[in-house]
Amino acid sequence: MTDSGALIDLSISEAAAALRRGATTSVALTQATLARIKETEPTLQAYATVPAELALAAAERADRELAAGQDRGPLQGIPIAVKDNCYSKDIRTEVGSKVYAGFLPDYDATVVAKLHAAGAVLIGKTVCHEFSCGGSDPPTRSPWDLSRFPGGSSIGSGVALAARSAFGAIGTDTGGSVRIPASINNLVGMKATYGRVSAYGVVPLAWSLDHVGPMTRTVLDNALMLRAIAGQDPQDVNSARVAVPDFAAGIDGGTAGARIGIDRGYFLYPGVVDSVRAATDGVIETLAALGADIVEVNLPELALTRETLSTIRMVESASYHRRQIQEQGHLYSPGTRATLEIGQVIPATAYVAALRARERFRTAMKALFKRETLDALITPTIPVLAPLRADVWQPRADMENGETPTDGFVHHVYPANLSGQPAISAPAGFSPDGLPIGYSLIGRPFDEATLYRIAYAYEKSQNWNERQPPQAYPTG
Amino acid sequence: MPRANQALDPDNDSEALAELARRLRLTVTPEDLTALAQQLQVIDELEEKALQDTAPILRMDADWHD
Repeated sequence: MTDSGALIDLSISEAAAALRRGATTSVALTQATLARIKETEPTLQAYATVPAELALAAAERADRELAAGQDRGPLQGIPIAVKDNCYSKDIRTEVGSKVYAGFLPDYDATVVAKLHAAGAVLIGKTVCHEFSCGGSDPPTRSPWDLSRFPGGSSIGSGVALAARSAFGAIGTDTGGSVRIPASINNLVGMKATYGRVSAYGVVPLAWSLDHVGPMTRTVLDNALMLRAIAGQDPQDVNSARVAVPDFAAGIDGGTAGARIGIDRGYFLYPGVVDSVRAATDGVIETLAALGADIVEVNLPELALTRETLSTIRMVESASYHRRQIQEQGHLYSPGTRATLEIGQVIPATAYVAALRARERFRTAMKALFKRETLDALITPTIPVLAPLRADVWQPRADMENGETPTDGFVHHVYPANLSGQPAISAPAGFSPDGLPIGYSLIGRPFDEATLYRIAYAYEKSQNWNERQPPQAYPTG
Repeated sequence: MPRANQALDPDNDSEALAELARRLRLTVTPEDLTALAQQLQVIDELEEKALQDTAPILRMDADWHD
């Protein structure tokens, strides 16, 4: 196997198998990925930094180790991209910000250290919105349609994966930033249970809402990546002391008997466009046909997740950035600065009230799961197709209440950030004009394995994930 | 249970928030502060109606079916 086009189309699990039977090498995978980056970057601009020499050195090391029988697991020798808000020792980490211009961390974020320990090849740092919030406009473009919003804030991770310029990627998710780009780019994105993956060394947006998660092209790859990056970390006080299972074991166990709830009043509200509604109904029908029990549910507490999460996010962001803005506010873009400092005027009592509201929401969600013995809730990942870049913050023409596409994004993704539950987004189909649609499953704390099992069964029944974006990018 | 906050009025509070933002030399817009005042009004109403016995603790556990 020497054709670079064939190599970059492999999944992580396929590439890992090819490495072990001697059909390819990590150096070949890395060279093919670097060639793809060179081909696509002039147009897509998914990467902030590509440390090609370090990547090739890591690939050579992986090949030597595998040849010597030192097997570190399925990520060994696989090119993986990492969002540029994760510290990487001696590799530029700029968080999409002029404040961090040229910054070289002197240590790795735990997620990066775990990738190194697993033998992965760090192929590059991917573009993110400035400080992982939505106030900036990165240059990254969607491989599905250059005029469309490519997702955020893990924008480069999603685009790189879709464009086959990485085999897997790390994103972070405070309010959907793994799941939204996954949905828009026909990918699988997992926001695991709060505390499942260490956030040490990741520049925070809001400590109590931040999650680090894997993004991949298949469900199995995602399960493999999560196992490699999860685990208790004494350097992260919010890290959970919970055993990490082999998420891939039993992933092909099917959906028979799985109980999946749908709150149509909230998750299929009038803002869900027809193609997304049809795709979501299609997933539900398929899962039912595969043996799952679909349960109609109603959770009124979902209605206040936006105000609750926003209050918490604003205060925690303001707390983290306050001194930095005082000293270097001129280096923030105006939209980002306003987003990150507005929390300074929120009363402490309102912040505590929002924390109490979060606990009330989590308690109501837990009671629902217990009462209905649910394994998961199913939702569209976002209610709309990828909007035109110019329309992201504009009121939708088809909504009378002034709702913007961004308002719709948070409607679906905020609940799992607020409750801390695991949530996976995976491909659900395409619109008539070829734009990806995603669906999500929200599960019980530390039960990511069940979400993977359900998503894997659906993926095998449809194979939406095999469709690729257009290849003919204008270059240069 | 005694209230922690006085009732908030969105109009008056957007003015109060604007005054505080001005003193803190923040760059936020009046529209941002109006939206924030409405957001805080929602939280205040929720606190009054439904949070009396709720403490601000986030504890994850794995026993949802036990």
